[in-house]
Amino acid sequence: MWTRKASFTFTGGIALILIGMMISNHQMMILGFAFIAFIVVNSWISGHGDVEVQRKLSADNLYKGDDLYVELLITNRSNRKTQLLEVYDNIPHEMKLRSGLNQMQLNLRPGESARIRYVLRCPLRGHYSLGPVSLRARNTFNLSVEEMYVDHHSDIVIFPQIKDIEEAFLRSRTPKMYTGATTLRIPGQGSEFYSLREYVPGDPFKNINWKAFARTGELMVNEKCRDAVTDLYILLDSRDVARIGTVLKNPLEMSCVSSASLASFFLHRRDSVALAIYGDGLSYLPPDTGDKQYFKLLSALAGVTPKGSMPLQAVTNSLSGRFSRGSPVFIISSCEGDGTVPAAVRDLVGRGHEVTVLSPSSIDFERLVSRIPRMSYEVLKLERQNRLTTLAGSGAQVIDWMPDMDLSQALMQVRGY
Amino acid sequence: MASEVGVQSDVTMTGGTGARTLHLKLLRKQWQILTLQTVATVALIAMYLEVVSTYVVGSIDHTMLFDSIELLIGDQLPLGDWLTGEGRDGMGRFFVPLILGLSIGGGMAFLAFQSPQMQQRIKLGFIITLIVMLVGRLIFSWLTGMLFSFDLRLPNDSELQTLQWPLLMIMSLIILFIYLLPVIMGTRGIWGLSRRSIAWAIGFTLIFLGIHAILTFPLIRGQLGSYGAQFATLESQVSNPTIGLFGFKLVTQEQFNLITIAILIMVFQESSYGVIRYLEYAYRLPESCKRDPEYVRQMDNLLNGHLRHTIGFLGLTAIATMIALGFHSVLLEIVSNTTGSQWAGQVSESIELTLTYGLVISALMFLSLMAIMRFFIPWQRVWGLIQSRLPSNETVQDGGKDFIQFDA
Repeated sequence: MWTRKASFTFTGGIALILIGMMISNHQMMILGFAFIAFIVVNSWISGHGDVEVQRKLSADNLYKGDDLYVELLITNRSNRKTQLLEVYDNIPHEMKLRSGLNQMQLNLRPGESARIRYVLRCPLRGHYSLGPVSLRARNTFNLSVEEMYVDHHSDIVIFPQIKDIEEAFLRSRTPKMYTGATTLRIPGQGSEFYSLREYVPGDPFKNINWKAFARTGELMVNEKCRDAVTDLYILLDSRDVARIGTVLKNPLEMSCVSSASLASFFLHRRDSVALAIYGDGLSYLPPDTGDKQYFKLLSALAGVTPKGSMPLQAVTNSLSGRFSRGSPVFIISSCEGDGTVPAAVRDLVGRGHEVTVLSPSSIDFERLVSRIPRMSYEVLKLERQNRLTTLAGSGAQVIDWMPDMDLSQALMQVRGY
Repeated sequence: MASEVGVQSDVTMTGGTGARTLHLKLLRKQWQILTLQTVATVALIAMYLEVVSTYVVGSIDHTMLFDSIELLIGDQLPLGDWLTGEGRDGMGRFFVPLILGLSIGGGMAFLAFQSPQMQQRIKLGFIITLIVMLVGRLIFSWLTGMLFSFDLRLPNDSELQTLQWPLLMIMSLIILFIYLLPVIMGTRGIWGLSRRSIAWAIGFTLIFLGIHAILTFPLIRGQLGSYGAQFATLESQVSNPTIGLFGFKLVTQEQFNLITIAILIMVFQESSYGVIRYLEYAYRLPESCKRDPEYVRQMDNLLNGHLRHTIGFLGLTAIATMIALGFHSVLLEIVSNTTGSQWAGQVSESIELTLTYGLVISALMFLSLMAIMRFFIPWQRVWGLIQSRLPSNETVQDGGKDFIQFDA
């Protein structure tokens, strides 16, 4: 495609020729012919974007706030020079360039390669994709330009930050002799073999004992000894109301950080952790332990977005049957705009669960972005205090989490479970 | 997929002493940049001299204007003849002013690279000197006159006479400045990296050519009477071509000079704008990229490419223009040689009238053919094949294990 310069040169050339003819002036005509000849000669060789692009990332998964090292290798696979080629690697706007640059102007000989290296800071959790690579080929005198893309994407997941939680902050009300898993002689989730039993629909295929099947001709599954682990249930509020505050500091971000940190803490203790995220719907990750579960949890938390208005009681009603008896439940919610929270908490406590409500103070987050009159703030704060007091009265441990408060500091308010 | 990614290279880690970076201070001394600037300056001077020799010298040059003014005021102008070129013949009149123009342009470019404070001081000094030179003597003699005669009065004639010299001096300088405007602004643009100045130099030249063309249009020239007769005109009748290629005589000396002016304008424009474009790009790069050998290598590639294309493509443009202008005669010669008929001679007589539609149509036909040829001859592939056969001394730099500490 012609650039503006080429169009002006061509139009100017034609105009000069015509005016030159009109007023019988040689110089104008020759200047016009020279302009047109310039365009014609330059049209013979134009730039191209016939290049191979490879992108390497330093990691597939990162934690929020970490740096991502990116290397883009551009190789000219054609038999001609690229001329002036501008390469621009499209990066998500949430990521910030920390060092280097995601673009370069180059002129590659046939077979030649160039590397663009840059470092991105990832300040927001989420699932991201780097790419495509935009190319803009020009000729030397900027008379023609061609824009194209190389559809090359690299996916990356930015996990929420993990904060250190000290053991002392999570003291048990009924101390265990050993932390983590202890094998019990009853069937259930665990690692040691317990017995064989007949296959029933719904059993995972990986548990089928194929040797027993070959021997008996009937499908048999392995049963494991139940590990006496604590099954921790985390209920994360991702309703639309959780977006209040700034992009980096809002109830949802803090909830994700706390969920990830708690999950990390308990999984390292070899406990089982389940996660339920409710917003416009309910997504539930059943309790399990190990690195795989940790990865699943972090991936789920990375993709959480604020939307919907599902009440907590709908969540507890649908999940209470799945909760292990007496297991601790963490509800991480600002408790704003949901009148069912006290009833849901009462219900859980009534079923024998240790309920802890970690509640980021949404009013204080709102203050970060908009000015709230002092009187209104005081009234709203009082309303919130009453709400939390009601929850505490229902038998839950309640933590009022202020925006500038560290997670460990906030957890100090809870008196164990 | 995650893999080992090397950190950005740094010349201080890989290049050792004397390593090159894309800092403007170093880049401005790089041979390609200096060559482009020199090419642009040479093109500017050549273009100016070509325009002057074709249109101005002996017709409307500054020495003739100075002579007329001196005749009018009955006195010599303050600027010396050695400076203005008065009394010399032909292009000799322009050599000293040309050097003066280059010096002023260079000085202005040098000034552009000083600190704003220094620039302000120099400009202030220049303005004060100008004011003192203009009215200094008048005020001094007038005030001392009033003081000695102890009388409050207006300046008398002899005191006002002191204004004549500075006014004439400033007028002479302004006239010289107008004549040298393309050179001064061009030099300032090339070496002071000013797009506006380059546009001024080109614009002024084109406007001059345009105005000259209009004034030499026979109808208008006739109206101007004796003034119009002074303008150097180009013959509207084309004489026999004397300059050519491959045995074909394509253009006359006069046409060749005009082609030279057109090509030199383009060489000046592309070289000077090219330098600014590349330096701007380098300036905008972040610090880590300026020190990255990959960026340095690619900048070399870009500059080398620009140099090659400036010489090659603008040379080809000149040749293409020459062939386009002489294409009708080539066609006629071919027809005449192949058929030997009278027809070719008759057509030749009618078409060789300059500025006829025939010449324009044949030239545009040639250029159209050239443009269409790109679809039949794969120039780029042919050129690429040649390039891939050429030995390359550029090696792909590997990631290496050069680690540096990044600052936030």
